[in-house]
Amino acid sequence: MTWVAIVSCAVVTYLVRSLPFAVTFRGRLPDAASRYLEALPVAIIAALVGPAVVAPAGALTSGAEPLAAALVIATVAWRRSLLAGVIVGVVAVAVLRML
Amino acid sequence: MSLLVFAGASQFAMVQLFSQSAPIPIVIASVLFINLRHLLMATSLRPQLRRLPLARRLFAAFFLTDESFAMATGHFRRGGRSLAYYFTFAIALYVLWNLATVMGIVVGGAIGDPRRFGVDFAISATFIGIVVLAIRRPADILIAFIAALVAGALALARASTIAVITAGALAPVIAVFARR
Repeated sequence: MTWVAIVSCAVVTYLVRSLPFAVTFRGRLPDAASRYLEALPVAIIAALVGPAVVAPAGALTSGAEPLAAALVIATVAWRRSLLAGVIVGVVAVAVLRML
Repeated sequence: MSLLVFAGASQFAMVQLFSQSAPIPIVIASVLFINLRHLLMATSLRPQLRRLPLARRLFAAFFLTDESFAMATGHFRRGGRSLAYYFTFAIALYVLWNLATVMGIVVGGAIGDPRRFGVDFAISATFIGIVVLAIRRPADILIAFIAALVAGALALARASTIAVITAGALAPVIAVFARR
């Protein structure tokens, strides 16, 4: 039974991911659509982090995560380095959660 | 499960649902909703993958995850063109994910709560960094904050299965009306 569910979930997961790659359309996109698509990646990645910052482990944050997130934003904006941001973020959140 | 359903959040949801012996259709529907966000991600990666033959595109789709999407987007936004970046990262992630799954089965019980070390925040910090580096217009900043807040609010409201898809699909509407 579990295997039926796992295989079905594998199929569903793959279909969702491959559909936009498999279908192609011709012609140019309208301006509004291309603006929308241009902003899409930033919105999705930000939406992915949102829950981990606002509601880590499903409950309202104690403040550690938003503060660490602000430090990450500042670090990356200043140093233009992803690695520096990750190090600052992990250390900051570990320290802030202990307080 | 990690070999077939390469999708972290869905896998955790499946384990949760199995442990409550949820009916199979519920499990499948939950996974579908959780993964709907990849529909958006694939849509946004389409222009970069258009040059590939169909078989390659379908191969690439299997490895599409939040992480590979974020890293590939960062790469393309920095002006990168090569798709080797996406494939290398995505497949390496797949191999490591499955190695880590085996390790977790073997030694998982001994570790305790990983949240103590702040390790869970590493991915969040990476994604925040990618967003910061991907900002091109002032409107992008607004869009990023709205998307993060809406998704966070939905997660708080126990709607985390639809949080990312809803926030990710709504926030870019701002760009349609923003001045260039």
